[in-house]
Amino acid sequence: MSPDPNRKLSQRELLFLIVLLCLSAGPHVLHLQPWISAFFIGTVTLRLLALSRPALLPGRFLLFLLTVAGLANALAHYPLMFGREAGVALLTSMLALKLLEMKRERDIYVVVYLSLFALITQFLYRQEMLLVVYVLFVVTALTAMLMHANMVRSPSRPTGLLLRSGGLLLQALPLMLIMFFLFPRFSSPLWDLGIRENRALTGISDNISPGSVSRLSRSRAVAFRVDFEQDGIPQPARRYWRGPVLWDTDGRSWTAGDPIPEKISEFFASGKPVDYNVTLEPTGGKWLFALDLPHQVPPKTSLEADFQLIRRSPQKHRFQYRASSYLNYNTGPLSEYQRFRGLQQPDNITPRMISLVAQWRRDSVDDSDLVDRALAYFNEQPFYYTLYPAPLGDNPADQFLFDSRQGFCEHYATSFTLLMRIAGIPARVVAGYQGGEVNPIGGHLVVRQSDAHAWSEVWLPDLGWVRIDPTAAVAPERIEQPLDPDRISEEIGAPIDFMPVDIGFVGALMEQFRWSIDALDASWHRWVLGYSKKRQSRLMRLLGLDFLKGSRLVYAMVGITAVAVTLLTLTLIYRGRPKPDPVQAHYQRFCNRLKRMGLQRRSYEGPRDFGQRILHRRPDLRGQVESILRLYIGIRYGRMDNPANRRRLKQMVSGFRP
Amino acid sequence: MKFRPPYRFMRSAVADREGTARISSRKIYILPTGHGLAYGVLLILLLLGAVNYANNLGFMLTFLLTGLGLVCMVHTWRNLLGLELTAAAMEPVFAGQQACFRITLHNRRAGPRPGIRIDVEGSGPDITDLEGASTGGLSACVPTVHRGECPLPVLRLSTRYPLGLLRAWCYVRLDASCLVYPVPGPRMPSSDIPDYTRSAQGNRGVGADDFVGLRQYRAGDSPRHVSWKALAREQDLQTKMFGGDRAERRWLDLELLSGDLEARLSRLCRGVLDACEQNLEFGLRLKDRVIEPARGQNQRQRCLEALARYR
Repeated sequence: MSPDPNRKLSQRELLFLIVLLCLSAGPHVLHLQPWISAFFIGTVTLRLLALSRPALLPGRFLLFLLTVAGLANALAHYPLMFGREAGVALLTSMLALKLLEMKRERDIYVVVYLSLFALITQFLYRQEMLLVVYVLFVVTALTAMLMHANMVRSPSRPTGLLLRSGGLLLQALPLMLIMFFLFPRFSSPLWDLGIRENRALTGISDNISPGSVSRLSRSRAVAFRVDFEQDGIPQPARRYWRGPVLWDTDGRSWTAGDPIPEKISEFFASGKPVDYNVTLEPTGGKWLFALDLPHQVPPKTSLEADFQLIRRSPQKHRFQYRASSYLNYNTGPLSEYQRFRGLQQPDNITPRMISLVAQWRRDSVDDSDLVDRALAYFNEQPFYYTLYPAPLGDNPADQFLFDSRQGFCEHYATSFTLLMRIAGIPARVVAGYQGGEVNPIGGHLVVRQSDAHAWSEVWLPDLGWVRIDPTAAVAPERIEQPLDPDRISEEIGAPIDFMPVDIGFVGALMEQFRWSIDALDASWHRWVLGYSKKRQSRLMRLLGLDFLKGSRLVYAMVGITAVAVTLLTLTLIYRGRPKPDPVQAHYQRFCNRLKRMGLQRRSYEGPRDFGQRILHRRPDLRGQVESILRLYIGIRYGRMDNPANRRRLKQMVSGFRP
Repeated sequence: MKFRPPYRFMRSAVADREGTARISSRKIYILPTGHGLAYGVLLILLLLGAVNYANNLGFMLTFLLTGLGLVCMVHTWRNLLGLELTAAAMEPVFAGQQACFRITLHNRRAGPRPGIRIDVEGSGPDITDLEGASTGGLSACVPTVHRGECPLPVLRLSTRYPLGLLRAWCYVRLDASCLVYPVPGPRMPSSDIPDYTRSAQGNRGVGADDFVGLRQYRAGDSPRHVSWKALAREQDLQTKMFGGDRAERRWLDLELLSGDLEARLSRLCRGVLDACEQNLEFGLRLKDRVIEPARGQNQRQRCLEALARYR
């Protein structure tokens, strides 16, 4: 630092400022309009070139023209100057222009503040942990820059400064946590700009056609995570995560159709219900996923007559809910309307389908027997379970059943449901997820898109709606084990290999690492990204601080922060106190004892002179005083400094009571 | 016009008997700087953004920066806390010159204290970084107008470290003063000096001024007095001998001058300087004090001191 805020910046400082600003605003270049990004990159390049050739720097008039150009550029691509994108575009352009006109020491502050602003806008686009690490690094560097501006001679290497600013940030961390958890959250934004991001969301949809589930299954993205309370995680074969229920078909695809306009019927359940918390990734749909069969409804959600959980509004953000399900159930009698919907047939039923069903009907005693025969058919005939089935024409069910016989779960579920309807048994298709992997570190269940599944439900007279999974008849392993899309060859009709492979030591380590990341990610989502008003009040309840609400939270935040700052202050003072070396401390103690009896050592007095004065006043202390002083002088100025002597000095001073 | 704090009402750290002032916690003032206020505005903007987008990472960054500001407050305050200062006057100066004081800062803490700055009213600041457990020096210069003792004015010790968001300062009173000689008056031709007398006793004994002759070198003679020329002429090693003080002696007398007191003192000051420069033997006669004639720097200093302190 110099006392003059108008000091010109050095080349080195300029270079660091340019780099810092690029680190802060640079990532926006990836998603802004190409012209805005080009403007940013161009300006930064010009500034970098001007480092070696200052003549390249634009004059005042040219800079004005450039500013107008930057504004026009932003305005041309975001005409209304409205919303997040436009703001970021403008900010990025102006930041680049600031680089061209920074010259003096006080510009450091302008650049650092603007960079901090640019950094926070990064979080509007991405929220991964890695980005947070990156942002923390840049903040540390920006802080170091400010520190540099306030020292006379800063360390020659930037690492020294980075360590110091890192230390400061580390001290700020507890304060950040206090404020983060206590700052009152609002359930709605202060003002709504009405512009929301439209991201392509993946996940099960309420429209299933051949290939739609298998396409989904190639992704390892997480669909949702589940924490089970007390009861433990159910067996894989019982983990059917029920999503949309599909009633209507046009012979090619299946859709949910109109909702069932009925109240949910009472159902009989046995056993204890299973309670769990689901953290669902954005789906863009309205339905939630629950184990078969849900009986408790999260708020703002309704349980339909076909046991779908439907939220009032589409779910575009990650969100968490609590649900409870009975694994053993009987849904009881069937309403006329549901029977009607469950027996509807498309118009492309072929004679060979009808004759196949007629054959089963002749051989079986009742509906339940017929279902078994149908499953046996899938099991005995040469059906293949594959992620890459041969393409099917306009009557997929018929072609699949009799010609190609290669398919993924949606092929089996839809054609089985259709066959049941032909046989006069009410049936429907249920889409959702099946299985999931337990994270051994976090203890939670991870359900991925590759666990997407479709199955069938038929209504049987005494049992109610019964879940039938024809896939299980073809590939029972699918139900027991998750499918790993990385291990499936992409050839058409390639069978899915469920055999566990030996992954070796490194593989096992990698696996472990993968799970750790997932566990970290889960708590990241739970405690950081998903921290909301609801979770805040739950945390307060957990801490026994229910009374902290609204403005009281603010008071508590301010109060606790103040306490933390005080603690920090005390710690710093304690750590910074001058520490006399132990020998000095013993001598000081010796002097203090003498002072109490009126013999104060004068500041200019060495031990020898002081000793003589003591003996003059108190000849009776001769023995003790002389040996203490001799030892002290020996340790301090002679060659007697060793632990034994130090101990002796301590003992002698302790024993010295004039 | 610069604001001058009413020092009488401000707390200040005062030097103890040994001349050391220690900055204790209650003596330190702290307020945000302009950059600090701008930082506050930035934080409010960030918070508004985070609330509006319900962006938890935004909240985190905002609160991290808020925490940084608070931590910074503690560090700025602590950067002065426990610092010990002593002052020493530098060389005496002539009125109108800057009186400079050497301020010694003792950092007893193991950690460094960067960016320590000292301001004195009426002069530029001085700034330094103190390493851990070390001593550093700063200078404070004050313009002088009058002769006499110039006390060290109240110092303002301040720092903005670490981030420049806040400025902590404290006022320090140290016991130090600098002697200010009168302004040297205009040069006088020697004939105008009325008190010009020749030394009554001529050559007497061994002196340092007048060459008398050569004698045989004896062990212990100063090599300066060895006659190298004689040695070059291949004569023996010989030592030059100097005779006693036959030179002029000058009395500077306040009573013999007329006019304003300060003007007379200024003229005497010039007289002292000239006499010393010409290596004369000179004495000073003031109303209440007489300094016997002598020559050399010590005499000069003695006389100037007497002139500076004259009442």
